[in-house]
Amino acid sequence: MISDAFTLSRIDLLGWVDTLRAQFDIFGPVMKRRGQAVFERLNKAQDMALDYCSTMTSPRSLIYPPRQSLFTIDRKIGHYETLVPKRGKETIIFGIHPCDMHAITVLDRTFLGDFKDCYYRRLRDDTITVVLNCNQACDQGFCPSMETGPFLQIKDRFDLVLTAKCGDYLVEFGSQRGKDLSKRANNLRRASRKDFVEKKRVEMRARTTFIKSLDTNGLPELLMRNLDHPVYKRTADARCLGCTNCTMVCPTCYCYNVEDSTSFDLNTTTRSRHCDSCQELNFAKVHEGNFRSSRQARLRQFVTHKLATWIEQYGCFGCVGCGRCMTWCPTGIDLTEMAKEIQRDGRTEKTI
Amino acid sequence: MRKPGSNPLLPRFAVVDEVVSETKDTFSVNLFPEDGSTFSYRPGQFNMVGVPGLGEAPFSFSSLDTGENTFIHTIRKAGNVVGALAKLKKGAKVHFRGPYGDGWPLDKAQGKNVIVIAGGIGLAPLRPVVRHLIMNRSVFGKVFLLYGARTPADMLYKAELKSWAKDVDVLLSADELNGKGSLEVHQGLVTRLFDQIDISLSDSITFTCGPQIMMRFVAAGLILDGQNARDIYVSLERRMKCGIGHCGHCQIGAQYVCRHGPVFCLPDIERFADTLL
Repeated sequence: MISDAFTLSRIDLLGWVDTLRAQFDIFGPVMKRRGQAVFERLNKAQDMALDYCSTMTSPRSLIYPPRQSLFTIDRKIGHYETLVPKRGKETIIFGIHPCDMHAITVLDRTFLGDFKDCYYRRLRDDTITVVLNCNQACDQGFCPSMETGPFLQIKDRFDLVLTAKCGDYLVEFGSQRGKDLSKRANNLRRASRKDFVEKKRVEMRARTTFIKSLDTNGLPELLMRNLDHPVYKRTADARCLGCTNCTMVCPTCYCYNVEDSTSFDLNTTTRSRHCDSCQELNFAKVHEGNFRSSRQARLRQFVTHKLATWIEQYGCFGCVGCGRCMTWCPTGIDLTEMAKEIQRDGRTEKTI
Repeated sequence: MRKPGSNPLLPRFAVVDEVVSETKDTFSVNLFPEDGSTFSYRPGQFNMVGVPGLGEAPFSFSSLDTGENTFIHTIRKAGNVVGALAKLKKGAKVHFRGPYGDGWPLDKAQGKNVIVIAGGIGLAPLRPVVRHLIMNRSVFGKVFLLYGARTPADMLYKAELKSWAKDVDVLLSADELNGKGSLEVHQGLVTRLFDQIDISLSDSITFTCGPQIMMRFVAAGLILDGQNARDIYVSLERRMKCGIGHCGHCQIGAQYVCRHGPVFCLPDIERFADTLL
């Protein structure tokens, strides 16, 4: 993290956001009906609900849109043109919670690995990320267990991080771009030792508010040893509707499907991609058969991918502990409860 | 030529040189890159081949790269993309991306006996292996090709099978012996031919591709006969949309069939769930 930190009053923070609106498209959490916040383009900084708990979809969709055109093919002249997403202005996402920021860096490992996805890279590079640390647990969150919150744990690959503490905000930087941006704020005050002590205190207090937790110690190995554990079949048979909600709201899910659509005169074809889900019946179907034809196999794929095989693939968990998959599951299937049941059985196995 | 760092999802064009009918439901399409650029690939790798408007699908190479910038895909008629490919004539254009994936570990087979076991269309990705083995015959020990099909008429590359028999042991089997052919064909499953492998399995390496159920029984049979599971390599089929490890469809546990496969050392992939049907 770039050293130097500043503090800013709430009034000056909102004033700063309003100043930036002239140059940037700013997205932030806006409160909708029934206390549900949504990331939206801000018309004024006042609209921001900086004390929001969790959004249904993470700000992932601003960097990896659910539906995206890839290129057009002109069949007459055999010409292909890449449709790189264009944004009128540079974009700032304001108020990203640490779990969601971690999730974006998890996506980076997929899309910016050996093969670089130029669409993802374009939007990722064009987006300034402003993180807001959480002072309070959300209902289903267990980010401390996944080491992704409630305060940001990474030192780079984001631009700015804010911490709300009695009356003002501590502003820290993850990039030079973030630092340059902060110069546009009024009445910045250089942070003192006292501010950091207070930040630590707020973090400690926030950590005590979590109800949910998951012991990740040895969990990947345990899950891989118990691929046929009865919890998958029981949960799938009794409760899983195969609705794909879990994967639609998960901030690290990246699977996509590709589709061609052709114009009426048959001369141009646009290839686009849209988010797909491993919980979909035909996701792993080929001519010969379907490799995950049972709901139980699809549920196991979700659990073991997020909590086990992701580590082998990308060196981190695929779960950031945001709790969305349980919040939005119509039957309340709980990822942590399934893992815990396997852990309980794993322990008794050892003692026998 | 594609510029480095540009869009890996953007295909190139290839021109159809020839379409050959192999059996009643398979055909081979011979292609070369339209822009004349060099194109090299290894046995076991694959291309994403497509037709604008219908999308693309993965097909492994059934030709051996001999530096001529051409490549062949042998394809069974199934699905929309193939339906369009089957109608192509010489000079038509298709789009393609590749080569992708990791091929057969031919370097590991050097100095060893090699058993190639194919079922049906599964001979297509193994054809460049057989041709490589024959071209470099002295580097390898005894070579067996076991090939099973529904009927003798359903066998691919019939003329080649005959010529291969001069250099390697070609053993054929068919479920029904109703078609007539000039080759000796045993009735039954490909595993029935195991009795005729007269070498020690402990010093041999196996490459297999075919229907899921065939590979399952081939692997079980070979292990029972004393082959080390780590010496068995399988080529797997999966749904693929990107070929570059992004779209997620081909995942088996921690492995992407498109990136780490489609050829796998059996124990490396069998430890995951949902590997074979």
